Amino acid sequence: MPRNVLLQSSAKSNFFIVWSEVVKNLKFLLAYPIVFVFWAIFPIFWFIPFVLQGQAFVGGLQSPSFGEVAGTEEFIPFIILGAILNSYVLTSLYGMGESIRREAYRGTLDYILSSPCNKAFILIGKALSESFSSTLYAISQLAISILFFGMELTLGIIMPVIFIIILLILGLYGLALILAAASLRYKQAHDMAHALEYVFYVFSPVRYPVASLPLWGQIIGRLLPLTYALIAVRSLILLKQNLPAIYLEILALLIIDGIMILTGFYLFNWMEEKTKTSGTISHY
Amino acid sequence: MNKNRVKGHELGEVTCPTGFNWTNLKAELRAIWESSIKAWKIELAYPVSFLRQSVSPLIILLPFLIYGMVLVGGRYSENLERMVGTGDVVTFIFTGYVIMGFIGTAVWAMGFSIRGEQWFGTLESIFVTPTSRLSLVLGMALHSTVHQSIGTAVEFAIIYAVFGLGLKIGGILPALGIFVLMMLALYGFGILVSALSLVLKEGWIVAEGLHSIMMILSPVVYPLVVLPTVAQQASAIFPTAPALVGMRVFLIENYQPEVIGNIFLHLLALDAAWILFGILVFHLTDIYVRKKGSLEKY
Repeated sequence: MPRNVLLQSSAKSNFFIVWSEVVKNLKFLLAYPIVFVFWAIFPIFWFIPFVLQGQAFVGGLQSPSFGEVAGTEEFIPFIILGAILNSYVLTSLYGMGESIRREAYRGTLDYILSSPCNKAFILIGKALSESFSSTLYAISQLAISILFFGMELTLGIIMPVIFIIILLILGLYGLALILAAASLRYKQAHDMAHALEYVFYVFSPVRYPVASLPLWGQIIGRLLPLTYALIAVRSLILLKQNLPAIYLEILALLIIDGIMILTGFYLFNWMEEKTKTSGTISHY
Repeated sequence: MNKNRVKGHELGEVTCPTGFNWTNLKAELRAIWESSIKAWKIELAYPVSFLRQSVSPLIILLPFLIYGMVLVGGRYSENLERMVGTGDVVTFIFTGYVIMGFIGTAVWAMGFSIRGEQWFGTLESIFVTPTSRLSLVLGMALHSTVHQSIGTAVEFAIIYAVFGLGLKIGGILPALGIFVLMMLALYGFGILVSALSLVLKEGWIVAEGLHSIMMILSPVVYPLVVLPTVAQQASAIFPTAPALVGMRVFLIENYQPEVIGNIFLHLLALDAAWILFGILVFHLTDIYVRKKGSLEKY
């Protein structure tokens, strides 16, 4: 018995938990190939109206007014990069936050939460599988954008961009952990996810630079990890800058990630204890 | 209480009106009303959710407005004026986006009314009642149309107060007429989607796909002329494109329609086509799922 306990707490066991969770989620993903195809292609359809709107209002592919606030007159690559990175927000808000609810729907949440392991590793597994699928979707969207919208991407900036995306994902999954904690207690996490999506939708520079918002809107925007990730990625890809030029954005992302992840884990553990005591784990 | 009903009650039977007559129509209208009331009761049980959904049209509109204004450095677009006779991007976007929420009504609220009953586990109970299945869908349409109208009113009030809108007051009535015609066709479309949601396991993907395609083919935030010719022709099969052009003609000063033809006749033809097609597919699907015994599966 003590040996088992020791085994369970070992790094190998924890890795096995994370691995099993990743495999389980990937099996779900592959069981519904149409869902995979949907997320790989349809986000493109959501930014096409913005591309056409730009062409109708400006009469070309460049806007001097846009360039004054965005630093680049080419609004189409600006929009495309915004949409692709924003898909990480959508999958983290609705994917991981809702994954706890899905376990409750399937009737497996009780078993997962009563299993003799650290729940943090289950959540890490969920976050990793979500990150993996989100990255596959992003690659597909980027490939379509390169083919049909003339996006340009040099090989040299791929690694820095991946680094920024990892920092973004960490912050977003901290946020998703907070949502997952809320869904354990309040069940209607969907509304909270929607409300957060609205904040990202309006205040982060997905479609327009933060500078075009009023001051109070800019302050809200500066609290979001997506803002810094977008500024950094656009600086690398569109403005051809290098990593040292965006050190402030990287620093801001690191700070936000730390705060989000610590708060997320603390809240999730606290809510888990609370729901176990109240006996409402399997309610939905 | 009449004699027949008392007799029916004693025999353990319920007399129900059937066929095309006034009594049956009244009964179906009552079913639509009750279905709508039920949806309201469920919705108002979650006030935070209701509040969120009421401001949702405004939130979704804002990025289109801000993006448009950043692109042209104000609210006037010379290029837009060349294409449609008006350069006011705020009024142009608002008049387009105001109806987009109603596409959501057709695709999501109506389309997933039956799916919702499946989730609640009440679909079979509803389907064995002696009322038309369509009444359930139309009840949801009624609820959702009123709901969306509330959201649109909030959207209008705030956009008008913050940005100001250059609308022709005299054009509101004919624009509303066009809106009603568009909604009829969208109801037909919603009936079709609700039928699809019965047979497709991942029906939300079809709904989202149709929603996205309709959004691109409708001149919501750009005139139709910026679309490729094939897409412009394809837009004619959905009611939103002619309705948007027609509404803007009546609502915006100096607006030059980008399509030529009688919009009222076009919409009437689309109404008949979408309603008939929707009901036909719904009827066939209903028969299919009952025969297959897959009514409660999802």
